[in-house]
Amino acid sequence: MSDRTDRFEPKIVAFLCRWCSYAGADLAGVSRLSYPPNVIPIRVNCSGRVTAGIVLRALERGADGVLIGGCHPGDCHYVSGNYKARRRIALLRRALEESGIDPRRVRLEWISASEGMKFQRTIAAFTDEIRTVGRSPVPETTAEVGADAEG
Amino acid sequence: MPKAKLGIYWAAACGGCDCSILEINEQILDVAAGAEILLWPCAADAKYEDLRNYRNGEIDIVLFNGAIRTEENREIAELIRAKAKYLVAYGSCAHTGGVIGLANLSERDRIFETVYGPRERWPRTESSLDGCVLRLPAFRTQLTPLSEAVDVDFTVPGCPPPREIVRELLTAVLSGDLPPRGTVFASSKNLCEECPRERTHERIGRILRPHEAEPDPEKCLLDQGFVCMGPATRGGCGAVCPAANMPCTGCAGPTADVPDQGAAMLNTLASLVGAGEEGETTMADEDAVLMQIEDIIGTFYRFGAATSILGRRYRERANPTDLD
Repeated sequence: MSDRTDRFEPKIVAFLCRWCSYAGADLAGVSRLSYPPNVIPIRVNCSGRVTAGIVLRALERGADGVLIGGCHPGDCHYVSGNYKARRRIALLRRALEESGIDPRRVRLEWISASEGMKFQRTIAAFTDEIRTVGRSPVPETTAEVGADAEG
Repeated sequence: MPKAKLGIYWAAACGGCDCSILEINEQILDVAAGAEILLWPCAADAKYEDLRNYRNGEIDIVLFNGAIRTEENREIAELIRAKAKYLVAYGSCAHTGGVIGLANLSERDRIFETVYGPRERWPRTESSLDGCVLRLPAFRTQLTPLSEAVDVDFTVPGCPPPREIVRELLTAVLSGDLPPRGTVFASSKNLCEECPRERTHERIGRILRPHEAEPDPEKCLLDQGFVCMGPATRGGCGAVCPAANMPCTGCAGPTADVPDQGAAMLNTLASLVGAGEEGETTMADEDAVLMQIEDIIGTFYRFGAATSILGRRYRERANPTDLD
């Protein structure tokens, strides 16, 4: 039993667009598809609403991974929000890389309203990946920044 | 009217902020006549002992420039906070950590290695010779802005703060007519609001660095592909850099209520690149443009690394900048 309790359970925040990915998550639910309970879904109107600052805030507040779910290319309810999200996340991942935070912690996926199965697969795969990446390097307590532990 | 008791202090800074006070030209004579300077290490002789001897709250206002890099910086910041009625975070380093906040991208050992060479030459907090002990303040593991060490009453952004804003601040100090605590001496809007350049809302098809091309002096720099931090940066300087045909580097920090300046700029730029919705460019084209941005942290977080999660040394690898 101790194996199970000791296992690192990642905290994952998923920003899901209400038109596609959130509906996809709903479909996964009504279809009784099981997926890891590590994900905290947050409904947003569009993946284009998820700014780099929001993703960084999630990481800062202790998320081990952040998933952004949007409509497939060409399907955005607001025409171009998902394209903007894609470019933004691509840049943000490079910024994370440069600053020493593993870019695998942030992932963008296209999940349509009919893709309950894909939602299930994505959450399972992302949870596994974050488990491999490990705990977030951001400390859980907000100790004084810059103070020297070694004295 | 009693003279205003003024202090000016530098912590981890380059000295440019102290010079910026002289940029007010002949008005410095009014400061000399109307203020009693109790502390100004750059220009007047005073010891920390003198500072300790002031009563709490005795100094009316202290302009504090520079970031908190060493334990000395932190200790003096706390001391000044106790002695001053008002404390001003003066300049980028005190405000957001400034350019030197980029040091947070490297571990302390790596910084020492670069600056001092082999480990035996590194500064020690305590060393003794002939029975005498020499103590040096410790170099903190990361650099922070002033507001993380102590409460700050006013903020004067800029690297260095622009002349008109310094005038405004010193006029307020001399007259004793200070604005409410929390006031930022700058515009609440972004730089674009005061930039005279014309926006054409063109899509960016190529990222240019300032040395790669001569910008058109009339058109928006972003439209031309130069990464100008204007949209994510607080105005108040009068857009002096764009007026001199140089893109804004973001020294004034983010606009009010925006916590992360670099992230805001990253959003802006991502929205301007390519034209996916019109189907004129492919995702591969867009990625090629995005890849032309070199040194993302150094570009978007030139002055704000120390205030972002990205510059807070949460590291999965010791020195990410070693990757190249």
